Amino acid sequence: MLRVDNASVYFAARDGKPVHALDRVSLDIPERGFVVALGTSGCGKSTLLNAMAGFLPLSSGSITLNGHEVTAPGAERGVVFQKDTLLPWKSVIENVALGLKFAGVGRKERRARAEELLRLVGLQDFADSAPYELSGGMRQRVGIARALAPDPAILLMDEPFGALDSMTREQMQELLVDVWARTGKQIFFITHSIEEALFLGTQLIVMSPRPGRIVARYDLDFVNQFARDRDARAIKTAPAFAVLREEARAVVHQFEAVRSSEV
Amino acid sequence: MTDLVVDLAADCPSAAPPKLVGMREFGVGKRSTVGISVATALLILGAWQGASSLHLAPHLFLPSPSEVYAAAQSVFEDGYANATLWEHVSASLARILIAAVIAIGLGAPIGLVMGLSRWAKGIFDAPIEFYWPLPPLAYLPLMIIWLGIGEASKITLLALAMFAPVALSAQAGVRSVTQERVNAALSLGATRLQLLREVVFPSALPEILTGVRIALGVGWSTLVAAELIAATRGIGYMIMSASQFLATDVVFVGIGIIAACAFAFSFLMRAVERRFAPWKGQS
Repeated sequence: MLRVDNASVYFAARDGKPVHALDRVSLDIPERGFVVALGTSGCGKSTLLNAMAGFLPLSSGSITLNGHEVTAPGAERGVVFQKDTLLPWKSVIENVALGLKFAGVGRKERRARAEELLRLVGLQDFADSAPYELSGGMRQRVGIARALAPDPAILLMDEPFGALDSMTREQMQELLVDVWARTGKQIFFITHSIEEALFLGTQLIVMSPRPGRIVARYDLDFVNQFARDRDARAIKTAPAFAVLREEARAVVHQFEAVRSSEV
Repeated sequence: MTDLVVDLAADCPSAAPPKLVGMREFGVGKRSTVGISVATALLILGAWQGASSLHLAPHLFLPSPSEVYAAAQSVFEDGYANATLWEHVSASLARILIAAVIAIGLGAPIGLVMGLSRWAKGIFDAPIEFYWPLPPLAYLPLMIIWLGIGEASKITLLALAMFAPVALSAQAGVRSVTQERVNAALSLGATRLQLLREVVFPSALPEILTGVRIALGVGWSTLVAAELIAATRGIGYMIMSASQFLATDVVFVGIGIIAACAFAFSFLMRAVERRFAPWKGQS
């Protein structure tokens, strides 16, 4: 279980004044939990993810994974970035196997496990392509396979589908649910799409900016429904989905309005 | 209902082949410029031939192309200034290659470290920034006083001249590594050494190769200048002694050989870049 306990982050602004980016955020991601963070830009959701990944130290509070404090980046927390960060001099399969190489896994086993992961994301035919020969959606699938390779306890995903067109995006969401259902990983997923958030999460947290904090939490079941019935349209057109969508939208915009009226 | 519009006629092959189009290009575009360059070269040769056969310049100053060709043949067969042509060329090539090995062997690692460590950057920045803008010929006398007129002074001079572009480009290469790429590697469990070997060095490689190309250019100009002043072998020396006897045709031959060598080097470097950094500009 990943536990965020009263995490606060202050950055130094250009003029040296502190900027309050994250305000006493507490959050538990249970085993098989799929937590989605939703919020407008500047609400601290990426800050929270960077702290979970170990890229950013906290000003106060703590983050623990299965009882061990998070102090630095590590292979037990896989990260999928918004912009793909594949290495252009390595083939697709070498990119996927990178974490295994870092862990000292032998060449043959690396290849075998990377091939398995490529099958999981449906890219087995592109193992020896160069990353720049792939489309954006395919590159993100490689990114997911790569993050899964060292068998992390949790996947941290920072708006991974933000740069994709809406049709590719829906395919990727369904693929991610498959991956989640099959691997049983904990996932922390950032998005600014309300529909994506509702569709993917077992838990939704809504964040608001200045200072970044959690303003609402929902427990969701749509993702389990989809994993069971595989009917995305039925879920997204169901009345319960629409009600929650409007509610979440109201929460997001309410805090946006409050903040902008303060200025 | 929506109408599905499928034009069946479009599936039938038409008689005339279709007119192929592409996006309008800005600037040079993709079409080869070799033809134009060859035509320009021929034009220059023609102008040269014309100028010498019309005696526009005194014969002593501007030999005709055929005379230069004859001189090239004689230099090739009999050598010039107490050495065969191959001895001159190999002396120059050996100097530049040894110096290049030293400059790359020191410059690339030092540049990489300069990009990675504040201390290394602080330490190496001052001496490099101080000597790099100096023309190498300005400190050649010092090299000769310190290291004698043998090979050591020339190779040191060349290595110094070639070191800075390699080191500076390696440093720039490290800076071009994005924080995201580093974070990605760290979150995959990379150690510092693995990060350096698998991410930082390959990321910096295209810039290092560009630096090597610049260094070789600098190397050739410095080499010939150094040989003009203090040498008994080398293409620069050959040109110098020819000019003392007003053998303009041999001077032309020497210049032609330097141009050919430099061209071959840059051709080789391009092949190296294609082989080792084919992803350059792709992502």
